[in-house]
Amino acid sequence: MSIALKQSAPEQPVPAPGGLAPGAGAARQVWRRVRRRPAALAAGGVLALLVLLALAAPLLAQLTGQDPNAYHDDLVDSARGGVPLGSFGGISADHWLGVEPGTGRDLLTRLLYGARISLLVALGAVVVQTLVGVGIGLAAALGGRFAGQLIGRFTDVMIALPMLVIGIALTAVVPPDFPRPLLLILLIGLFDWGGTARMVRAQALALQGLDFVDAARLSGRGRLGIARRELLPSLAAPVITIAAIKVPTAIVAESSLSFLGVGVKPPTPSWGQMLSSAQTWFRADPTYVLLPAGLLFVTVLAFTVLGDAVRTALDPREGSRLRVGTRKERTA
Amino acid sequence: MSSAGPDRHLIARRVAAVTVSLVLAGGAVACGPEDGADKAGSGGKPGAAGGAPQRGGTLTVLNSEPQSDFDPARLYTSGGGNVPSLVFRTLTTRNREDGAAGTKVVPDLATDTGKPNADATEWTYTLKDGLKYEDGSPITSADIKYGIERSFAAELSGGAPYLRDWLVGGDAYEGPYKDGGKGLDSIVVPDPKTIVFKLRKSEGEFPFVATQTQFAPVPKAKDTGVKYEEHPVSSGPYKVVKNDNDGEHLTLERNEHWDEKTDEERKAYPDKIDVRSGLDAAVINQRLTTSSGPDAAAITTDTNLGPAELAQIGDNKELAGRVGTGHFGYINYLALNPKVAPFDNPKVRQAISYAINRTSVINAAGGSALAEPATTFLPEREAFGFTPYDHFPAGKTGDPAKAKELLKEAGFPDGLSITLTHSTAQNRQTSPEVATAVQQALAAAGITVKLEGLENNAFNEKRWDVKNTPGFFLSRWGADWPSGAPFLAPIFDGRQIVTNGSNYNHAQLNDQAVNAEIDEIAKLTDLAAAGKRWGALDKKIGEQALDVPLFHPVYKRLVGKDVKNVVISDWTGVLDVSQVSVK
Repeated sequence: MSIALKQSAPEQPVPAPGGLAPGAGAARQVWRRVRRRPAALAAGGVLALLVLLALAAPLLAQLTGQDPNAYHDDLVDSARGGVPLGSFGGISADHWLGVEPGTGRDLLTRLLYGARISLLVALGAVVVQTLVGVGIGLAAALGGRFAGQLIGRFTDVMIALPMLVIGIALTAVVPPDFPRPLLLILLIGLFDWGGTARMVRAQALALQGLDFVDAARLSGRGRLGIARRELLPSLAAPVITIAAIKVPTAIVAESSLSFLGVGVKPPTPSWGQMLSSAQTWFRADPTYVLLPAGLLFVTVLAFTVLGDAVRTALDPREGSRLRVGTRKERTA
Repeated sequence: MSSAGPDRHLIARRVAAVTVSLVLAGGAVACGPEDGADKAGSGGKPGAAGGAPQRGGTLTVLNSEPQSDFDPARLYTSGGGNVPSLVFRTLTTRNREDGAAGTKVVPDLATDTGKPNADATEWTYTLKDGLKYEDGSPITSADIKYGIERSFAAELSGGAPYLRDWLVGGDAYEGPYKDGGKGLDSIVVPDPKTIVFKLRKSEGEFPFVATQTQFAPVPKAKDTGVKYEEHPVSSGPYKVVKNDNDGEHLTLERNEHWDEKTDEERKAYPDKIDVRSGLDAAVINQRLTTSSGPDAAAITTDTNLGPAELAQIGDNKELAGRVGTGHFGYINYLALNPKVAPFDNPKVRQAISYAINRTSVINAAGGSALAEPATTFLPEREAFGFTPYDHFPAGKTGDPAKAKELLKEAGFPDGLSITLTHSTAQNRQTSPEVATAVQQALAAAGITVKLEGLENNAFNEKRWDVKNTPGFFLSRWGADWPSGAPFLAPIFDGRQIVTNGSNYNHAQLNDQAVNAEIDEIAKLTDLAAAGKRWGALDKKIGEQALDVPLFHPVYKRLVGKDVKNVVISDWTGVLDVSQVSVK
């Protein structure tokens, strides 16, 4: 979302049509509006905490004295499918969140280390998606009819391409030493931008018919100038919203790719991997499923709430005297 | 498969296919000495209570894999298969009994398991009296010859490779549709009751192969080629009344012309058998657990309980009492390829053998209820010639100290770094879980293992490609019949190294002494004596540390509440459908 913000900030202090002061003023204004929403602040706090925990994973692992990859065969009941001994998935003084069935690996440290991969891959992929999606969407909207059609068909093809199949094919081509998180970011990022591009194109086309864009055009601004100064600020809201929605999708995509051996390599944990191996255990060892699922839920919720708050704060219609649209639209 | 030459690679590929399908079809149980009794709680096996089995009712079979290509020429089975054996009788068949007794081969259409000549290159069978097809017409030895000849036709491929290899002229024969009515000369039918097989080499275990569905009679007048699978003519207690979507849903009803006096093996209690497939494993197990409505009279022949499901059954006596336990001849192992450094160094191979932690590996495979630790290549059953040995004792959790010592002697005092190739399929056999357990164990001995996970087909292609075989990978092997032969010959016979197709001799072992011993044992018709020598050969090959045996899988399968007379042999490891009663 920082990208969208930057792009929406022209150098000159010309008031943007939405009533949002440009430059540093815009960010300040967004912050002021977000600050008024306790839910948004809480969501931001949760995300900050998660990122902090992920960054501090090695320190925390040292603190608990656990290695995320160490096996503890004595902590699982081998005769009963490897279910953790003890209650609540083997929670103990040593293993604060219990252990993994079958291996006895410490769940707390695995979740912390898993957060690193999952957040990195998801955020990285969404940044790539957004950049590519906005660029292509604007090009489709501003280019001529032929270029628009061509880009539109290309977008359709990319949406139709099955990422998982390409992922398998890639494993045969990509050298085994290529860093997997980067591969995942590129794969998810470069394949799943079609929705963003389509949305941006549709929004940009709609905006082009509005008075303030016409005014800018009449005052002699070129296509690029219109895109940068008039369209991007208004697009920031929907783009940030769609990016927030894409984060959980990217986390899930990471887990599906792990299934096919394109994900991070074992024993490196990721939430997606943990969730997929936990799904058969939901009755026998609910703790094992609830931990990664709960974390994923909290993360997704936080992104959504925060995304929504930023969207509202960025919405040019919010706080604008020049009300655009009908009353019904505004209240919605 | 259309080529008629001695295409060992085709043969080998088929063996592989079989092995895989057997795994899927394999199933269940033989009341393991400790585990089975433990799990069942009551010390019995499922269906033990509830009185004597009665005739009648409908048995439902809930499976994942469809019973596709239901043509006796095309089925690849161990011992004639489970569902196929209800429709197709063969010259010999499996002894339908629990445990070790079930590994014996017994007569079916024939009066005995076959009379060999002195060097076991010629086998003669005589048919029983009163054998009839589902239309009441008599079964003759010429029909059995015709059934086998059909299986050589390219369009009816899919069966086991052995006959093509063994029968005189088998390598060049192209099936009855192309031979101008001449037939295969090495199968002789002197009269309607007698059939003689002429082999190009000694095969003491021919009676085991005569259990496969290719030995079922097919009346030439009723043969419709590739369409025969839609309605094959039954010789067994049931006939096919409906076959939807290539075996996805099979309905079998009683064959009134089957005479139980001619068949000592099949009990055929239910009146109707409904085989449904294409179901998800979790759904099958959930339906069997709930066991309501028709599912109370349901079984599965291909779906195991998973570790989480076993954990959930836990102390539930009622459910635990409905779990059948079985052992199918199968080995999961680490293959070490001496053609790739550093595995050319025996000390490195031994170090890995010492370092392995079988407790972690077994837990990765689903725990001690689903896998038994293995230190021998042959399964721990007498029929396979099991001879205990543990040349590089790793104990329960590995001996990293001894491994380090050996590495030092091998010239790697600071440890070494190797790559383990595995599949990404979630099968708990060649899967990432098992690979990670191996990686973790070897780390303790100073061996850094990099994991190379490949999609399952790519993984199989790579490990079967002799030019490209990885140095260190997870592998597995299943038996076509309960003996040492189908275990050791494909894996360690130097003449079975396939250079332009699927190769299973991963280590590319070509040892004259081993090859000669394999030939010598094949001449024996005394299976007990052969078993001892297979065991001794296994022990001897084991000294070279060309593989690290990891575990033998155990099958745990649920049956519905009303299911009685569950019989699980060590041949198939699965409950025998022909013995089950639902009344």
